[in-house]
Amino acid sequence: MSRVKEVFPYPFLGLLAMLPLFFIVVIKFGIMGYAGIPLDAGTILIASILIGVGVDYSIHFLGRVISEMKTGCNIHEASLIATRAAGYAIIINAVTLIFLNNYSRYTRMGEKKKINKDFCADDETFSLCVLLFKVGKKAMVILGGSTLSIKEDLPKQIIEALGDKGIDPQVIEFSMASDLTLNGEFGETWLLATKEKIYIVREESDNFVIEEVLFTDIERIRPENMIGSAMIVIGKGEDDRILVCYTSALARKFSIAVKVLEKLRKGEEVNEEDLLDKDFERNCPKCGTLYPNLNRKVCPKCLDRRSIFRRVLSFVPRYRSQIILILLCMLASSAMKLLGPFLSGRILFDEVLTEGGKYEGQVGKIVLIIFGSQLLSLLISIAYGRINAVMTAHVIFDLKSQVFGAMQRLSLSFFTNKETGWMMTRVNSDSNQLQRFFNNGFPYFIVNIVNLIGIAFILFSMDWFLTLLILLPAPLVIYIVRKIYPRLWSIFSRQFRRNSALNSLINDSLAGVRVVKAFGKEDIEVARFEKRNDDLFDISMEAGHMSSTIFPLVSFLMGLGALIIWAVGGWQVINETMTFGTLITFVGYMGLFYGPIEFMTHIVDWWSSCMNAAQRIFEILDSEPDVIEAPDAVSMSSLNGEVEIKDMTFGYEKTKPVLYDINLHVKPGEMIGLVGHSGAGKSTMINLIARLYDVDSGSISIDGVDVRKISMKDLRSQIGIVLQETYLFNGSIAENIAYARPDCKRDDIIRAAKVANAHDFIMKLPDGYDTVIGRRGMNLSGGERQRLAIARAILHDPKILILDEATASVDTETERQIQEALERLVKGRTTFAIAHRLSTLRNADRLFVLEKGKNVELGTHEELLKAKGTYFNLIKIQREGMKIKGIEG
Amino acid sequence: MEIGEDKKTQIDIDEQGELEEAVTEGLAEYVDVVYLEPAKTSFYRTPGGVIALKLEDKTYPRVNLHRAFPFSLGDKYISVREGSGQEIGIITDLDDFDEKARGILKEELERRYFTPEILCINSVKSEFGYSYWEVETDRGHRRFTVKGRGDSVIPIDEVRYLIMDMDGNRFEISDIRKLDRKSKKYLEGMI
Ligand SMILES: Nc1ncnc2c1ncn2[C@@H]1O[C@H](COP(=O)(O)OP(=O)(O)O)[C@@H](O)[C@H]1O
Ligand SMILES: [Mg+2]
Repeated sequence: MSRVKEVFPYPFLGLLAMLPLFFIVVIKFGIMGYAGIPLDAGTILIASILIGVGVDYSIHFLGRVISEMKTGCNIHEASLIATRAAGYAIIINAVTLIFLNNYSRYTRMGEKKKINKDFCADDETFSLCVLLFKVGKKAMVILGGSTLSIKEDLPKQIIEALGDKGIDPQVIEFSMASDLTLNGEFGETWLLATKEKIYIVREESDNFVIEEVLFTDIERIRPENMIGSAMIVIGKGEDDRILVCYTSALARKFSIAVKVLEKLRKGEEVNEEDLLDKDFERNCPKCGTLYPNLNRKVCPKCLDRRSIFRRVLSFVPRYRSQIILILLCMLASSAMKLLGPFLSGRILFDEVLTEGGKYEGQVGKIVLIIFGSQLLSLLISIAYGRINAVMTAHVIFDLKSQVFGAMQRLSLSFFTNKETGWMMTRVNSDSNQLQRFFNNGFPYFIVNIVNLIGIAFILFSMDWFLTLLILLPAPLVIYIVRKIYPRLWSIFSRQFRRNSALNSLINDSLAGVRVVKAFGKEDIEVARFEKRNDDLFDISMEAGHMSSTIFPLVSFLMGLGALIIWAVGGWQVINETMTFGTLITFVGYMGLFYGPIEFMTHIVDWWSSCMNAAQRIFEILDSEPDVIEAPDAVSMSSLNGEVEIKDMTFGYEKTKPVLYDINLHVKPGEMIGLVGHSGAGKSTMINLIARLYDVDSGSISIDGVDVRKISMKDLRSQIGIVLQETYLFNGSIAENIAYARPDCKRDDIIRAAKVANAHDFIMKLPDGYDTVIGRRGMNLSGGERQRLAIARAILHDPKILILDEATASVDTETERQIQEALERLVKGRTTFAIAHRLSTLRNADRLFVLEKGKNVELGTHEELLKAKGTYFNLIKIQREGMKIKGIEG
Repeated sequence: MEIGEDKKTQIDIDEQGELEEAVTEGLAEYVDVVYLEPAKTSFYRTPGGVIALKLEDKTYPRVNLHRAFPFSLGDKYISVREGSGQEIGIITDLDDFDEKARGILKEELERRYFTPEILCINSVKSEFGYSYWEVETDRGHRRFTVKGRGDSVIPIDEVRYLIMDMDGNRFEISDIRKLDRKSKKYLEGMI
């Protein structure tokens, strides 16, 4: 790789260097074409050199890219470069080639003077170029894809080195390059494997060192994640050995390596198809750009903004009349605006105030007209504002209710996934952006274009020379707006971020004021505040300095245009080649001219950020929940509550199982206690029974029917969950208890609360069952919330009950009350209970002990105590813990 | 989000930490924090490339090192753990060890906390909300892709920054003041 780089350090510079040569050939061909001179040997030579260099370049580009992909330096960027490079190289080659062809064709036909024109206009040529460009892209994608192979192409030197050692490259079943050496430097290390051995090939002072390990000497192979990098470790007995290190960029690739090596070790057949999962696809299949976000396979480049735009427009018919009205208003007001300078300049000065003018002396009339037009424009803008306000409300309402509806439909994993979760937090600002698109952006865009064309037309028709002159500062203005404004925005956004950091600090220390005061740490809080305040101060200063320089500069530059008009126009007026009115009109239009220009420079950014916002919203609207109702789902309105789990395996990420091979048969009405250290997978198991997630393999069935086949509504109505952290909605206590059955009788609510031991504390509240939670500092304690949740579950009356650490965070007396409530609740229901305090599970019929995702024990309390296994140890530890605290367990 | 607070409170907390050591001493009979004393321990690298530990007369064929304060005290308070994850003990300060052991431990820490230091930023290109970086690190030339702006460049303190790329690789800028002007400009555009 380094060699390729040395020869071609800057590929694009190289291409640039080729350009003069290219032009020489073109010019020469042109001249010869005009003169009708047939091709001479020299030209053909240059042309063929050119083609040769072009081809060479494309090959070297590919070489460079491939080698980068191998070392895995940065597949993302490599593929990006490759796509473009291959495209450029191929185009250059193609253009040269086609040019040659065309040239000889024309000269052969004896045609003259047509070459240049036809060359440019030649459709066939153009489409061929496009085709070749596409082919180039495709080729790169295929190449990019081929890196996801369990047999990566070995460099020549390594094949030679293997040969020197007497190893036949043909027998190698597996080869993969890492991007780190064993001592943690960037560099290539190769991991190879045959059916019998693993080889590690690394470069050491220009020599290749090959180490080998027999599969028979390996008992385990596993990847170990470190921080920022990872390694594959093999082991036998007590000894571990590091095979290869790699950066996190290659983690996915090497997780496949581990699978392959494991198969080879067991002597199993390796099937490449099974191993390379779809998730592995990192590049957009259309253009080769790396997905910025692997969990959200959206290619920012290929994102079809036009089709999104069309879809955004599909919202329009709903507001058609408003949009048309807005547009009309805007057009009318811009017509008024355009009329202004003309009336107050040309007409007023040249026709009214000048001797011999058409309307000489009719000042009153013209002022009245000007006044009328201003009044009209005022009316129009009032109308515009009103229509706009109505539409804003409508669009926001529609969008948000659609998105919220879609969000409720999605499965839990969509929310817990970091990437999509992040999308959720954007929903609000995204819908605002879209709304702005309808209200301002879209109509403004049209109006600005109309304005620009209108002004340009008027100015040019009045005096084209002066118009060209006033355009002189335009490029400068555009440059500043495009280059310097972004810097300014970045400072502003930093200012904004620091401001919100300051605000969150204030919120934080106010919310935690009890802790702050209790620890007497007011000083620290003040110091932290001052620090952030300082930061904000600094950036505000910077923002102030910069904006107070740039904005005046821009208006100065714009003013330059006016200066030019005054100078040149004034001179013309004195020479009487221009009327004074025209000059005034010009100055008037100047003021209107730069606004649309500035708008147009932002239009691209604005457009793409708008479409990205739309994209995110549509993604939520379109997302298919992972957990979906089967088309042939059966309705089961009443269940017995028999649960059977068969060979179930599950992981939140497919590569990392959390539960392995779980088997459990639960009789109707039985209570199962789930026991294990935290992180063992207890809650996960419960999530699966409630079908918040779907199992990866195996099955869970209720009353003999796979849960995936039971209609979601029936399933959920038969399963009740009480969690450690109880979520209560904003609303009255009664509403919260009756959440599952909003139309139940008041008697039911009270009875449920009584069973849940909640009635008494509710009655002590001044507002009783109508107490609104969350209002006026109305806050319930953990135990009280817990009992409300139990009451909710009781009213829900599920056949299968799930209790996840329902009594974890309450005091002993409250626990007793909750315990009592739970005992009433579990009667006649199949129950899965997880409890922190094992003593709480004494009513369980059987205990299911999990350890690191595996079921290690199953039986009654007595049986498991006798077995003296994991459960016994857990009990022992807890008893000891109690003793330390001075409590008997 | 911000990992480090300002220097001032950092010191404050450190001082408190020392204070607390004295305070918590009385709890030693309930929880024992095992400190690994250099005299009684010997670390060595096995032929397989992992670190083994001989503690008095017990041998651990494979140990892992975890920094307790990776940002603020990288070479102090290092938890030494068995392959299974059980803590064997804590090293208070690497400097207490002789050169050989220190060398091995530092090497291992550097491998585990693989964080190349950025010496110079050649270019940062932003496109579609993702930025493509090209940098020189103390371990060589590197290119990487960072998602978003602001979220992936994490200030540790006034002058130190941690950059996390899309794949979870980490890069460090130990002192922003030492960067050349161009690099500084690129970095400032991203924070
Ligand atoms: N939403 C999730 N996404 C990814 N991993 C998760 C998620 N929830 C839990 N885990 C992981 O699954 C494992 C089991 O978690 P859990 O079932 O909550 O354990 P327990 O309830 O027994 O304490 C843990 O390692 C945890 O980190
Ligand atoms: Mg749990």
